[in-house]
Amino acid sequence: MKNVLLQATGLVKRYGSRCVVNGIDLEVREKEVVAVIGPNGAGKSTTLDLILGLKRKDAGNITYWREDYKAQVGVQLQTAPFFPKLSALDNLKLFAALRKRKLSVEEGVQILERCGLREVVQTEAARLSGGQQKRLAIALALVHHPKLVFLDEPTAALDPRARREIRELIRRLADDGASVVFTSHDMEEVGKLADRIVLIRDGRVVAEGTPEDLLHRHEVENLEELYLKLTGEADA
Amino acid sequence: MRTVFRMMLVASLKDRISLFYALLFPILLMAGLGYYFNSPDYHERLFIGVLALSTLFWAVQGVAFQVYEQRNRGVYKLLRLTPFPTVSFVFALTLARALLGLCINGIISLVCAPLFGLSFPLLGVLPLLAMLTVGLLCFTCLGFLVVNFARNEGQINMLSNLLQIPMVFGSEAFYSLSAAPQWLVAAGRCTPFPYFVEGLRAAAATDFAAWGVSLLIVSVFALAMLALASLTFQWDPDRTPFGFRPRKSAARG
Repeated sequence: MKNVLLQATGLVKRYGSRCVVNGIDLEVREKEVVAVIGPNGAGKSTTLDLILGLKRKDAGNITYWREDYKAQVGVQLQTAPFFPKLSALDNLKLFAALRKRKLSVEEGVQILERCGLREVVQTEAARLSGGQQKRLAIALALVHHPKLVFLDEPTAALDPRARREIRELIRRLADDGASVVFTSHDMEEVGKLADRIVLIRDGRVVAEGTPEDLLHRHEVENLEELYLKLTGEADA
Repeated sequence: MRTVFRMMLVASLKDRISLFYALLFPILLMAGLGYYFNSPDYHERLFIGVLALSTLFWAVQGVAFQVYEQRNRGVYKLLRLTPFPTVSFVFALTLARALLGLCINGIISLVCAPLFGLSFPLLGVLPLLAMLTVGLLCFTCLGFLVVNFARNEGQINMLSNLLQIPMVFGSEAFYSLSAAPQWLVAAGRCTPFPYFVEGLRAAAATDFAAWGVSLLIVSVFALAMLALASLTFQWDPDRTPFGFRPRKSAARG
C-alpha cells in the first residue's frame, strides 16, 4: 500500500446560503495521478483552494504527510500569477528562492527548456502568450522538485501541440515519482494521465475510482459518456 | 533571502516611470521654491524638507502601488503556498526600496546642493545616511499598511494622502511651526515624519544628541509599522483586513 500524502475529509465551503463544497473527501497517495473532474461551478477549484489553504474551510479536516509540506508541494493556479517586471527566468529564480532552493542560471534555463520556454527565458513574464504563461506557471510549480503537485486546468486554452507537451510533462512528473492532482474538462487527457478519477458535481463527490473501474461500474464505453451520464448532461 | 532581495530590487528598478518622477518632482520643487524664496537660510531648510518629502513619497506611495500590482496579479497567493515567511518577504522588498530611495536622495543631493551653493559637513554624512535609511524603512512599511487596507488604486491614493499630507503639515519640513496652534504641533508629533525631519536637520548640523533621539524614535515607529504591515499583510486580492469579500470568481468551479 502506497503512503498517503494528503487526506482531506468532509470539506465544506459556503458563500452565504450557497454551499459550493459539500462534504468532499479526497485522498492522494504517493506516485499517484489523480484527476478531479466535473462541470463548471461544481466546486473543483474551490476544493483545491481549500486543500491549499487559499480559502478558509467551513468544516472538514486536511492532513498532509508532513508538517513542513509547503517545501514539498508545487502549485499551478488557474490564473497564471507572476511578479510583474521580471523575466521568465527571474520569476523562476525568485520562486525557487521562496521555496528555499538556490537555482543556477543553467538549471533555470534547463527547467524552462523542459517546459518549452527556451526562446523566452529573458522575456518579461507578463508579456508571454497565454500558452507560454501557462507553461511558465507549471515550471514555477516544479522548480523545487515537489513530491506533490497541484495543477488547476493545466491545459485549458492551449493549442493541441502545447496540450500534448503539458501532458507529456505531467506523465514525466509521475514517472519521476511525484504525485499529481489536476483538474480538467478534457476526458481524453484524463484517460491518458489519471490513475484515479474523482468526479465532483454540486460540491459532492459523485464517483471515484480508476478509469477502468468507473467505466465498468457505470456500464459506459468511454470517459466522455461517463462524464455526461454522471453530470446529468447526457440529454443536453 | 538574498535572491528575493535582489529580485525585488530588479523589479523596482524596472519601474522606470516611478523612478523618473521620484527624481524629477523633488528637483523641480527645490528649484521652484529655492528661486522663489531666495534666502540662503531657507535654502538649507528647503533642502532637508525636499529630501524628507522625497523619502516619504517614494516610500509610501511607491511601495503601495508596487505591492498592489503584485497582489492583484495573484503572486501573493503563490507566496502563501511557499515556506518563505511573510515578514521576510516584506522585509526584503522594504530593503530593496530603501536602497533605491537612498540612491534617489543621493542624486537629488548631487543636483540640488550645487544649484544653491549648499555644503554639507563631512561628519554629518553618515548620520544623514542612517537617518534616511531608517526613515525609508519606516515609511515603506507605512506604504505596506496603506495597501493592506486599500482595495483599488483610488483608495491607495486616498489613504496615502490622508496620512502623508497631515504629516507634512504637522512638521517643520518647509516652515516653522512656532506660530502654529498647539494641537497641530501635537498631532504632527504623533507621526514619525517630524522626528525624521528633525533627525535629518540634526545630522546636517552635526548635533548628534538630537540626531540620536530622532533616530531612536523613528526606529521605534519603523518596528511598529513593520509588525503592523506583516500582521495585516493581504495576500488575496479578494480579501480585506475585515474579512473575505467574495466576487463572482470566488465561487468558480
